Amino acid sequence: MITTDAAVHPYPAGDSSLRRMASEAHELGFDSIVAIDGQNTEMYGVRVIRGVLISENQLKNVIGQVRRRSGKGDLVIVNAGETAFNRSVIAVKEVGILRHIHKAPKNSFDHVAARLASERGVAIDLDLHPVIHMKGPSRQRVLQKYRDIIRLHTRYRFPLTVSSNAYSVLDMRSPDEMKSICRVFGMSGQDVDDALSAISRLFNPGSAVKVVR
Amino acid sequence: MKPRPPTMREKKRYLLARIEPRGLQVDPKELYYAVLESLTSLYGDSVSSQAQPAVISAAGGYAIIRCTRGYEDLLRTALTMVTGVNEVRLVLRSCATSGTIHSLKTRIAAAPSIPAPDPAGLEIGGKCFDAYHYGSEKVDLIEKGFKNQELLFLTQTDLEEF
Repeated sequence: MITTDAAVHPYPAGDSSLRRMASEAHELGFDSIVAIDGQNTEMYGVRVIRGVLISENQLKNVIGQVRRRSGKGDLVIVNAGETAFNRSVIAVKEVGILRHIHKAPKNSFDHVAARLASERGVAIDLDLHPVIHMKGPSRQRVLQKYRDIIRLHTRYRFPLTVSSNAYSVLDMRSPDEMKSICRVFGMSGQDVDDALSAISRLFNPGSAVKVVR
Repeated sequence: MKPRPPTMREKKRYLLARIEPRGLQVDPKELYYAVLESLTSLYGDSVSSQAQPAVISAAGGYAIIRCTRGYEDLLRTALTMVTGVNEVRLVLRSCATSGTIHSLKTRIAAAPSIPAPDPAGLEIGGKCFDAYHYGSEKVDLIEKGFKNQELLFLTQTDLEEF
């Protein structure tokens, strides 16, 4: 199983260099990380995948950004928005991950979007940063949204990813720590393992599941 | 007062947590408040009162935290959510759980000690930093001062490129 932290933000966005984040990821037990605006490389035995983060309200702008900014081997990540936007962005071929559903309007990621994500193999990201850093009602709202995503995931089985969304090595968490955090919003250990290894499956869709009788 | 017989005492568990960044000095009392706040905000007053967390020691880059037996998993989750103590950013990485303080202290003694800061220090962008080199590559830069210190986490190679 190749475990991946689905989003980290190295220097200059954060306070830790890409090398340091890769070194930390290696010590924490990750095999790869997705570095937003980083580079496709390998450091300290950790594969670094360049992530292209797109935050737009309209589909045509997303498509424009994908054409301008993404290259071969990059992972395109889009921040969620309104219901119609989410449904249409899932249909874009290059998009790998839809994230920040907790920031999107209520019910903007519904059963239709969930079914589409499952058909297209687009992953939904569970960002642990707000779970760790928020407190009180705002964290409760995030946990509530994540529980809803888990419910949809149980029904439609779209890919899930888990990310620390770390801007510092202090924000990074080990796979075991992520597992215990995900347990707070009702995610099973097996689902977390699947989510941590989902990035490698996004890049090798052919090697997903084999039924042996 | 006569002490309670051992069979009637509540069983305890001790968690060892590594404090990062490594050079940071943490007041055990402040750490206790941070851990308690994290546990309470996540699981509520009822669980916190049953878990009875207590910071036994916080020195040498490690903290030993006590809780009631059976609550170690909840406490470990709460520790992962501690992001700072007294407005100083840090992370607590759970290393081990044990039934005795002694075994955790043996582990701490076996671990590599915290390096002393580079006496020369470093100046980046007009700010003075203490540099802690450890491992083969890692360099933590902590801005000199008391509050709102800027932190930078680099490697030796990054430092040469700076």
